[in-house]
Amino acid sequence: MRRYVQIAKNTWDETFTYRFSFITYRIRNILQILTVYYLWTFFIPQNTTFLGYTQSQMLTYILATMIVSSVVMATRSQAIGNDINQGNLSSFLLKPMNYFGYWFARDIGDKAVNLLFSIAELTLLFMLLHPPFFMQTNPFFLVSAILSISLGTILYFYFSVLMGCFGFWSNEIWGPRFVFYQLLSFFAGSLFPLDILPKNLYAVIEYLPFSYLLYFPIKIYLGDLSILMIIKGLLITGFWIGVMHLLVSRVWNKGLRIYTAYGR
Amino acid sequence: MKRYWYIWFTMTKRITQVAFASRLGVIFFTLGKLIRFLLFLFFLLLIMQNTKADAGFTTWQIILFFITFNIVDVLSQFLLREVYRFREYVVSGNFDHILLKPISPLFRSLFGGSDILDFVTLIPLVGFLVFTVTKLDPVSILQIIFYVLLLCNSLIIAISLHIFVLALGVITTEVDNAVWLIRDITQLGRVPVDIYKSTMRTLLTFVLPVAALVTIPTKALLGIVSIEGVLLAVVFSAVLLTLSLLSWQYALKQYASASS
Repeated sequence: MRRYVQIAKNTWDETFTYRFSFITYRIRNILQILTVYYLWTFFIPQNTTFLGYTQSQMLTYILATMIVSSVVMATRSQAIGNDINQGNLSSFLLKPMNYFGYWFARDIGDKAVNLLFSIAELTLLFMLLHPPFFMQTNPFFLVSAILSISLGTILYFYFSVLMGCFGFWSNEIWGPRFVFYQLLSFFAGSLFPLDILPKNLYAVIEYLPFSYLLYFPIKIYLGDLSILMIIKGLLITGFWIGVMHLLVSRVWNKGLRIYTAYGR
Repeated sequence: MKRYWYIWFTMTKRITQVAFASRLGVIFFTLGKLIRFLLFLFFLLLIMQNTKADAGFTTWQIILFFITFNIVDVLSQFLLREVYRFREYVVSGNFDHILLKPISPLFRSLFGGSDILDFVTLIPLVGFLVFTVTKLDPVSILQIIFYVLLLCNSLIIAISLHIFVLALGVITTEVDNAVWLIRDITQLGRVPVDIYKSTMRTLLTFVLPVAALVTIPTKALLGIVSIEGVLLAVVFSAVLLTLSLLSWQYALKQYASASS
């Protein structure tokens, strides 16, 4: 366990090595949120609603995506595909450590940095913009939201590893990840809460895994879901984690069988 | 001039051959860009159909702003893709080779291999632009000429911003997030700057070149641009180009060739 903690710490330190790059990355984060924030501020004037959302609810949702995505969707594991393509995987396979554990530890280090800076940036945005923000005080909703975020983090990790496994069969790992990320980001609810979509479409999305990465934890935080809906959502997330675990294990083992350490 | 045209053509041809060596990559790249465009378009339509706040623009006019943003974005990526590879030259010391060759290192670093895949995505965009224009009030030839000229002006702004990135790359060896930062800033132009609150609008008009990049050319096509707006866009590009060239000269003087 201690070695994984050290890996997470190393990732933390590594982030601050290229400071200029890190600062520009953080500015980008703020800009992305500001773009969507200003859009919604304009399209939902105060004292009006947009498909059931008040300006306060929508802005809380948008600002919350900043925090939740900094935990759930921050990852370093996109490098898995490169490891396979360049043959670097071989040295990991020889080491007395779990390869997925290594990447998960790196993810934790990355998420810790992202979370810390997202909170600082959000505080800054609050001081500058004074947005109407809904503060959840009910411990049940808070605990459920944290649980949902934790499950979403595991689910996203599996997605990322699965995308990396493309490296066993193709050198072209960036393309599939790019397409997948576009779809995932949209259907996770990074631009808007998914329940404003047409009902038929939303009914389908509800059973797909993507909405459990951002939309579902934030809806729990907002207190918009009943206990039954929360339990149902957590069970669906658990189901998808199980499916992804089996799928990743199968694909990984198949990939290892054809891995030739090409590039080394 | 003829030599530079030949160099650009030759390098673009080679980069194209490399890109098409992986057909799967071509398919995924084009598909990803198309999906991103369609999903945001869907998002805009969803909003426009359910809100009364439209800043005085119709749905098709808002779409026109979005298409113009995409054209500027894709066109600059198509021409300036080499900037994304620049860091590698600096950290590996290969930038020395570029400096030693009898061509402008700035030209080589900016245009040393355009990305044909971006050009491919430009074709449906232009088609959609024409379709959108047919849905608007009749557009005069003069409006179209102004639009094209202001798009060229936008391209000069985009080139200037990329020169800043190259200069930063020489000094700090860090390019990747800086170039993405530019793209994030320009993404604020996916909608007209008129919809932003006054402070933000001022920032995007007079400090960051978002209005000059997208809003002003689109307004020219719609026939609602003011002469002040056109002047602002032109002055913006001239100032940015001058400053970026100065920054490039400064960066070259700082280059220590440490990696070679």
